[in-house]
Amino acid sequence: MTAGRAFRSDLLKLKGKGLWLLAAAGPVGLIAMQALNYGLRFDYMQKRYAGNAWGGLLDNIAVFVPIALLMGITILCSLLANIEHHTSAWKQLLALPVPRTAVFAAKFAVAVMLLAVSCALLSLGAAALGFIFGFGAGDMPGAEIAKLGLYPFLASMPILALLLWLCMTFRNQAVPITIGVVMAVLSIFGMSEWLPVNWPLFAYTAPQREWFLGAGVIGGAAVLALGALHFNRKDVN
Amino acid sequence: MKEWVVETRNLSKKYKGRYAVSGLNLKIAKGEIYGFLGPNGAGKTTTIRMLLGLIKPSGGTIQVFGQPLQKHRMSILKKVGSLVEYPSYYGHLSAADNLEAIRRIIDVPKQRIGEVLDIVGLTKEARRPVKGFSLGMKQRLGIASALLGSPELLILDEPTNGLDSSSILEIRELIKSMPKQYGITVLISSHLLGEVEQMAGVVGIIRHGELVFQNSIASLQQQAKGHIALRVSEAQRALLLLQKYGIDAMLSDHRLTIGRTDDETVAKAVRELTNEGHSIYRVEERRKSLEELFLQIVGEGGGLS
Repeated sequence: MTAGRAFRSDLLKLKGKGLWLLAAAGPVGLIAMQALNYGLRFDYMQKRYAGNAWGGLLDNIAVFVPIALLMGITILCSLLANIEHHTSAWKQLLALPVPRTAVFAAKFAVAVMLLAVSCALLSLGAAALGFIFGFGAGDMPGAEIAKLGLYPFLASMPILALLLWLCMTFRNQAVPITIGVVMAVLSIFGMSEWLPVNWPLFAYTAPQREWFLGAGVIGGAAVLALGALHFNRKDVN
Repeated sequence: MKEWVVETRNLSKKYKGRYAVSGLNLKIAKGEIYGFLGPNGAGKTTTIRMLLGLIKPSGGTIQVFGQPLQKHRMSILKKVGSLVEYPSYYGHLSAADNLEAIRRIIDVPKQRIGEVLDIVGLTKEARRPVKGFSLGMKQRLGIASALLGSPELLILDEPTNGLDSSSILEIRELIKSMPKQYGITVLISSHLLGEVEQMAGVVGIIRHGELVFQNSIASLQQQAKGHIALRVSEAQRALLLLQKYGIDAMLSDHRLTIGRTDDETVAKAVRELTNEGHSIYRVEERRKSLEELFLQIVGEGGGLS
């Protein structure tokens, strides 16, 4: 499988780039923020979410998941693309006997892998934080905790595919990074369910989560296909 | 009928209404070192990028190993190694890891990494991060990457650009050995004739995107044939005398120049002049250097053949 070979090559290129560290830093930061939030006013928070301690914690984390996720996506995509932009390695990579779509798919797969680790760490961190605060293990909403990591992530696929394509297309990363940061900021406000930037938020907080989940996965596949199509045709200078 | 490894017909590339390359008919035979010459910006790199499928031609066709590039790009690229312009590398990785990143894609045995590092003389530096390499070492790593897949066609774009003279010599010997040792066909581009004439059997000269010369180095040398210059006591009269005996001569700068350089003609001219009482001070043969000829070809409008 050529895409698999390109993927294994990309894994090697991550060596020493600090991307794994970055993937860990996001969830650690979010959890640390809530540790501080609860630590400063633990009694008040206990009273406010009396009877729903776990749910309260998850809701507090969930507010910041979209912005952290989209920021992470932006930085990650840019760093991944820069591995090739830096010394114009595209011309060498794409003169190898590997389909360009495989190269594009491999980069996407690496980004998904790193983000999946981030989101898994977020769920684990949320559970750990609950235990530290002494929330009962019996009440622990395991499925909800998993969804906190997984749902916003899956709903952000269209944005991941778009930013990856932008980062790989533009040599000057100022353009995609600006777009990524603007989208990250907008993602906090639940403006409209028609806006893909809001899907990561709604995928956890809205009553019909699965709609946003499905839209994210399908939209992501569509954007990915369009990006790959363009990448396949463009001139490499 | 020769077997063409690379054959382009009417290859053209248009950028914003301007032709960077137009009507190019390259022919590169198997086992040959083909020198692709031209001044900077003449279209060499554009042509090479088209040969590798990195950019799409605006017109014309490319055949590599007898097959159209557009249809059989993957199977063709499997047999091609390339180094385009300045070397590409991943600075944070070691030389061996750089080659491993390529090896994982082209799927060749692991031992090839050691072999190509040995060929370019980087075995000792294999474990160091490439960002600390000198330009010459990076260039050699680039050649190692190109050789990794045991290619049948090696495309090197200005491989000695920015190298010191001892590295240039090393790389030249390396390239020269390719056809002999491994049967590889080599396309090497350069803006310096001097660099290519010692390696290449055939040269193609490109100027403003058009091929103005394509033939063997030997025939280029023929074109650079010389003339005989005579310095005599009375140039004006001597000229008339030579013309009387049917020897084409020209007077310039108090010297007579004779276009034909065969022994007969020279002997006759000297004989007649001395018989008429002219004093002959100097008889010199002057050859135009290849470099001068190259400059003439790329400088002036007209090609030679």
